[in-house]
Amino acid sequence: MVSSNLPLLLLCGPLAVAALIGLCPRNLPAACFEFAHLASITFVLVLSLVIVGQVMNGSDLTAFGDWFVIDSLGAVFLLVIGVVGFLTGLYSISYLRHDVAHGALDAGKLKIYYGFFSLFLFTMLLAASSNNIVMMWVAVEATTLGSAFLVGVYGQRSSLEAAWKYVIICTVGVAFGLYGTVLAYSNGSDVLGNSEGAILWTTLVAHARALDPMLAKLSFVFVVIGFGTKAGLFPMHAWLPDAHSEAPSPVSGLLSGVLLKCALLVIVRYYAITVRAVGPDFPQMLVLILGTLSIVVAAPLFFIQQDLKRKLAYSSIEHIGLIAVGLGVGGPLGVGAALLHTLNHSLAKALLFCGAGNVMMKFGTRDLGLVKGLMRLAPVSGVFLLAGVLALAGFPPFNVFVSEFLVFAAGLKAGYFWLMLICALFFTITVGGLIQIIAKSVLGKTTGTVPAGDVGWGALLPMSILLVLILTMGVAVPAPVARLLQNAPAGVLDGPADVAVGAPWQTAPAADPVAVATGNSSHTETNP
Amino acid sequence: MVGFQLVNGLAGLLIVTSLLVILARRPGLSAKFYSLQSLVLVAIFIALAGVQASHELYLWSASAFVTKVVLVPIIMYRAFSKLDDPKLGSGEVLPPAMSIVLAALVVVLCYWVVSGVALPAAAAIKPALAVSLAHFFLGLGCIVSQRNILKQVFGYCLMENGSHLTLALLAAKAPELVEVGIATDAIFAVVIMAILGTRIFLTLHTLDARSLTTLKG
Repeated sequence: MVSSNLPLLLLCGPLAVAALIGLCPRNLPAACFEFAHLASITFVLVLSLVIVGQVMNGSDLTAFGDWFVIDSLGAVFLLVIGVVGFLTGLYSISYLRHDVAHGALDAGKLKIYYGFFSLFLFTMLLAASSNNIVMMWVAVEATTLGSAFLVGVYGQRSSLEAAWKYVIICTVGVAFGLYGTVLAYSNGSDVLGNSEGAILWTTLVAHARALDPMLAKLSFVFVVIGFGTKAGLFPMHAWLPDAHSEAPSPVSGLLSGVLLKCALLVIVRYYAITVRAVGPDFPQMLVLILGTLSIVVAAPLFFIQQDLKRKLAYSSIEHIGLIAVGLGVGGPLGVGAALLHTLNHSLAKALLFCGAGNVMMKFGTRDLGLVKGLMRLAPVSGVFLLAGVLALAGFPPFNVFVSEFLVFAAGLKAGYFWLMLICALFFTITVGGLIQIIAKSVLGKTTGTVPAGDVGWGALLPMSILLVLILTMGVAVPAPVARLLQNAPAGVLDGPADVAVGAPWQTAPAADPVAVATGNSSHTETNP
Repeated sequence: MVGFQLVNGLAGLLIVTSLLVILARRPGLSAKFYSLQSLVLVAIFIALAGVQASHELYLWSASAFVTKVVLVPIIMYRAFSKLDDPKLGSGEVLPPAMSIVLAALVVVLCYWVVSGVALPAAAAIKPALAVSLAHFFLGLGCIVSQRNILKQVFGYCLMENGSHLTLALLAAKAPELVEVGIATDAIFAVVIMAILGTRIFLTLHTLDARSLTTLKG
């Protein structure tokens, strides 16, 4: 561990911009808010990459007396926040200009949007970098409070309803998280006899075997219910389709691509404690059940939706379910695959929500019954949406294929044949729904009522970057990212956890397919 | 020993005040009862501080008094008293007698759960610990059993008070900053819920949670 001021600096940037925008008068020219916003997201991107680069090179960072730690696990999520935060933030500028020009958004609300966008980024960064478990809870709770006004920014009946449900369900859910946090802290404090140390996640993990098993289990149940609500796991997912569909599209991308993952990170942190305190069976079973149920429930609901963004929201529940299944399967490969899927799903979903934003800009509706022939009307947007849909459906050479393949491979390797078969069947339903989008909305015939012409380059640029990243991760997981994903499970699992994470066609130096297939690998696993 | 009995006794009083918050017909009155409940919570903190010789808990008592007894109830009273939906009535889904019976059942169930905890710190305060857990679930019950969206906010506050009491009971020497973090977040949560509740009332002209049904499926 290396003490560094970078984590604090990273947190200060977006917070300062949020405060600055908050202090500005509402009637400032839009360009001023856009400039501050651009500075904030660029700052977060650059500093996140610098920090992640340092962690990739083997030096975990700590700050403020160990209250903040960025290890390999946290770095994966920091990468998601930095990249997806920047690209959805960049997309926001064009999207909001369009909304203001067409009267969908009052120009005075730009201040609210850009201010809360930075605040939202700050709260997510806080959640990803906190080592103090109470601060972790405060951060996740603050993400709700920071993003509630973004969800309800249009001020319409439906968006206010979505914002209310979002705040109530998530706040109540995260109250369960608080109870779990309190139980974990109390447990640690009593066992360690050290009130200061027990508040740190690293200390709790190090002394997890001494914790009271009953309290550790109770704490994990509360944490999974609490932060699982925020992550969108069934049956606590009710807020998610409403909030994702009513928020402005870039915010939907941020909610789905980043926020859900931050809540998931907290669950993973407690999973690490519980695995050590009571063994892997209990925590794995709990997340496996919730993950499977999320897939089983979300897939049919995804299929029947007519609202594009609502459809994507149910897809998010399904993919969070798959990540939970990866964690539930356990082992280095299961956890590594889950983390890779976290990264891949974030990129794919950000592209798709931006694509949904383009659809909104072109057609003025999210109703798939009215969205026809995007490819003919706006070819570049059509290609991006097509690529995003294919990626989400899990087709190679897109990135989601790689991580889905690894989760299923981990499940089969762990002996969950029937469970993986059920999950695969429900994912097939989703593929059917996605093919419908391609056939009708992307490639279908136009109705003739919408003029041809694509959206501006400002909206297309971040989408093109997202597509490049998706393809890059799909063709071959870049070595630095693979190294990060290889190190991350070690912080989660109790025991050897070295795993090579990559596409099935990538060769790893230590690969021994026979050993992996027969389960005779030593310390280093490779994907099958 | 007397100190622990006092803590357990005051914890029982907490359940009574919770029921008052839940069963009060108007949100403004609930805000007053919430203030009363928080006063009982502060009294528990002080009693615990004396028993456990915890300097930190005295500080908690002071900050909890400012935030929970004064600040949050004032915010809620001022925001909620202006909003009235006569068509909604009390907004209760369950009759009061049923609520009281269910609350008793929750306390018994929580006592059973807490009896399995083997921590030495919990030995003398298991009744209070059971009450703190029950308090948390009573808050959840308040949210589920109320159609008035403003009363749902009190449900969250009750859940938060339950968590707070558990923390004080099991980790009496937790740093003051922990308490400040939780309390500050709770204040922001209440403020944001109050703002959103007001905007919903001004836009939809109702406080009935069952009217929020535009988004389905």
